[in-house]
Amino acid sequence: MTDPTLMLDLARLDFAWITTMHIIYPPLTIGLAAFLFYSEVKWLRTNNDEWYRLTRFFEKLFVINFGAGVATGITMEMSFGILFGPFSQAAGPFFGNILGYETITAFMYEAGFIGLMIFGWGKISKKMHLFATFNVAFSSMLSAMWILVANSWMQTPTGVHLENGLFLVDSWKAAILNPNFLTGFPHMAIASFEIGLFFVAGVSAWMVFKNRNGKMFMRTLTASLMALVIVAPLQIYVGDELGRTVAEHDPAALAAMEGHWHTYNKDGTPNTSWNVIAWPNEAKGTNDFQIGIPHMLSLLEDHKWVSTVKGLEEFKIEDRPPVLLPFYAFRIMVAAGGLLMLIAFWALYLKYRGQFTAEGLQRRPWFLRLVIFSAILPYIAIWTGWWTREVARQPWIVHGLMRTSEGVSQMSITAEIVWFVGFVVFDLLVWVGAWYFFAKVVRHGPDMQAEVVHQSENIPVGSLMTDKIDHHETILIRPTA
Amino acid sequence: MEHIMTITHPYQWLTVVWWLLIGFFLMLYIILDGSDLGAGIFSLFDSNSNERGAIMASMAGTWDANETWLVVAGGSIFGTFPLAYGSLFHYLMIPLMVTLWGIIVRAVSLEFHHHAKRSTKLWDWGFGIGSLVTAFSAGVCLGATMQGFSLSSGPVPTFNGGAMDFLTPFSFWTGVTAVIAAALAGGVYLRARFDRDTVIYRKAMVWTDRMFYLALIAIMGTVVWTFFKFPWAMSKWIGPYWWAFILTGAIVVFAAWEMRRASRQQRDMAAMLWLGLIVVLNFGAMMATLYPWFVPGTLTIYDAANPSNSLTAFALAMTGFVPVMLAYNFYQAWVFRARLAEFSAYGH
Ligand code: HDD
Ligand code: HEM
Ligand code: HEM
Repeated sequence: MTDPTLMLDLARLDFAWITTMHIIYPPLTIGLAAFLFYSEVKWLRTNNDEWYRLTRFFEKLFVINFGAGVATGITMEMSFGILFGPFSQAAGPFFGNILGYETITAFMYEAGFIGLMIFGWGKISKKMHLFATFNVAFSSMLSAMWILVANSWMQTPTGVHLENGLFLVDSWKAAILNPNFLTGFPHMAIASFEIGLFFVAGVSAWMVFKNRNGKMFMRTLTASLMALVIVAPLQIYVGDELGRTVAEHDPAALAAMEGHWHTYNKDGTPNTSWNVIAWPNEAKGTNDFQIGIPHMLSLLEDHKWVSTVKGLEEFKIEDRPPVLLPFYAFRIMVAAGGLLMLIAFWALYLKYRGQFTAEGLQRRPWFLRLVIFSAILPYIAIWTGWWTREVARQPWIVHGLMRTSEGVSQMSITAEIVWFVGFVVFDLLVWVGAWYFFAKVVRHGPDMQAEVVHQSENIPVGSLMTDKIDHHETILIRPTA
Repeated sequence: MEHIMTITHPYQWLTVVWWLLIGFFLMLYIILDGSDLGAGIFSLFDSNSNERGAIMASMAGTWDANETWLVVAGGSIFGTFPLAYGSLFHYLMIPLMVTLWGIIVRAVSLEFHHHAKRSTKLWDWGFGIGSLVTAFSAGVCLGATMQGFSLSSGPVPTFNGGAMDFLTPFSFWTGVTAVIAAALAGGVYLRARFDRDTVIYRKAMVWTDRMFYLALIAIMGTVVWTFFKFPWAMSKWIGPYWWAFILTGAIVVFAAWEMRRASRQQRDMAAMLWLGLIVVLNFGAMMATLYPWFVPGTLTIYDAANPSNSLTAFALAMTGFVPVMLAYNFYQAWVFRARLAEFSAYGH
């Protein structure tokens, strides 16, 4: 069985599945780590025990998510070489270096502090603990930065030339600071904050809704939603910039995202219509049907009333990306981003009206319900955003330089199917497990009885005593006989 | 492959340095995670649920860092030997895939176990079986790498064999050896982590006693098999430096004896250090035997290396981080060093 197209498509599916199941964890890790740092600082500044309890509570959720991120992430590191061997070899001199930087400067950095952050309560001083939390937040962001360097270089591969089948680096600066990175990384970084903040907001809203420590959780609900008043619009602004970067450097991808086939209308004027919905027909090279808003496309991509935006018809058929998936995925992401912003603004309005208190909100259960359910939206935005990005880059694995078909490992179809089935099973296990335990921790709520870890000096260094102080169940291991 | 050789020529020493460094990362992984994996294998034979939980809790603060050395090794291979990364990993698809499944199951079991109440049994088994599978398939990967694989011709040679090429009696045997060696390390580790009056400590004592002999047989077997199976190994071992290999072998035997003595006298930390020395010596001897091959008979380290300017960049950017990385990892391990008498899981 050697059908090259089937083999290629399966390899893409294999890779798409594992990235899709990985990307739901790291952004939350990044966002939540930053939030934990904030609430720990709040605790140390105000000396208010509630901030301590909130920190410990969200930290439990963080740990579950982190474990899932590690479990799915190690797969990612190895799978470039397995599924896309020739690509890894060719792009290795740049791409491999960058991933190598990531493992050394970010993963190992993070791993060296995460144990201290989670299990170090009471064993190290408060300052040292805060330092550990800071390093976890910082290193996870570094990791996202390197990953985005690697991935954005695949979109806009500057600073290299191809020689004897290898990408050799001419300018490290140009390759690292490639055009797509400069907007793609901020967009990803903000997405991480957004998912972290909405996660905190969703959980806090549930607590207020159920009136379980409602007053205490108003602290995190207020902090997260007010931060989102700035973060959510910023994401839309940066997203627009990213779209313009794509329009400039990869017009075929942009045309696919917009379902835009024809540069000019039949009467010769520039086609400026932005399709709200459409049904693309790739064989015919046009949309079977579409509803568009005139001038929107030019406004979005060029910030002009009338301008020419290249349509897909200008690209050779073999250079055109698929249209259907990027088109709808992109719209879903944008809709999610817009909704998230509206929710943040609604919260601001309620605050302005003085109704942003536990009692005030409990009289508005619909608002709380909305916040709880909207916690899923950043996940959807992140998925659809990446699908847009990766599918719209096709048929290139390194845009304009190397085709995906040239980068794929020549594998047997059976092996690829075994891979797919196996990772569907294991990644779903991780996913279902993670959500099951999120739910469990949330239902159980914060620990309000535990003594606050104040004096690290009194606690013998190196014993696992913290949890005992927390009145968690203690297992005694003693000789039975 | 000619052009790659000429490009790397002036940077040969850098290639060697990175090869050594990656070897060092892998060795750290084997030492650190080997103990954790072995403790997992041990837990399969310990039916007491509390004790299994205790074993998991004993590595709560450090397992992630230990495992990350594998990621660092993988990432560094991609960064410095991309030609090996792209072909070797493709060749090892199936055993790597199984290793990854093992790692996934193990990692989630470690995390979820803390939170579970009704499903603790499931995560206990996940932790044990995940550890066993990871150790076995990682051992298979090592043996399969020693066998080499077939490469296409062309400017960038890639793997062109079949998915099952990796599987031979030899690679299966190295998998078994890895499990036994990890089991020994796990016993030694548990003894250093638990108070002497705990049940786990006693069980681990019996366990290390048995595993010691098994490991001795397994490792001897691997050495002899390697000698007769691989001409590159034989020629090294009876070549001009034969005495160095004999000497290393002698020190290994001595260290094994010392380890056994320390273990009998309950000097658990010393036993762990002697075991560490054995791994270092064995691994060093393996690297020396391999040189200049990255994958014997397939790719030399020079064939596989990154073109020069990337290697320099990688070296400049990264070498400073290695000591720092070691330092904070050491600090973390130090904070969690004390023996455990009683402890808790994140219950509820
Ligand atoms: C919380 C998550 C989130 C939200 C609310 C948005 N995005 Fe996004 N978007 C992402 C999360 C994301 C992402 C998953 O992080 C991507 C994929 C890769 C990347 O760099 O960012 C992405 C990709 C991405 C791309 C593709 C770039 C490419 O192909 O290289 C564009 C054009 C936009 N975004 C634009 C927007 C706009 C105009 C938004 C306004 C509402 C928006 N995004 C909201
Ligand atoms: C597709 C390419 C990717 C690869 C090869 C990859 C690789 C990995 C690996 C190997 C781990 C586990 C590391 C450990 O042992 O701690 C991991 C976790 C992580 N990854 Fe990814 N990853 C990818 C995508 C991403 C993206 C897009 C981001 C950021 C936006 C990211 C950020 C992180 C972070 C922060 C962690 C730490 C674990 C966690 O926080 O959950 N990764 N990744
Ligand atoms: C983590 C979020 C990500 C998601 C959800 C994602 C999604 C996808 C999808 C859907 C595909 C298949 C596209 C197609 O074949 O049409 C793909 C392919 C690919 N992606 Fe990503 N991706 C992510 C991150 C990354 C990153 C960070 C990198 C590089 C560092 C990367 C590198 C690749 C490569 C090499 C392929 C295979 C070639 C291809 O089919 O284009 N991806 N990804």
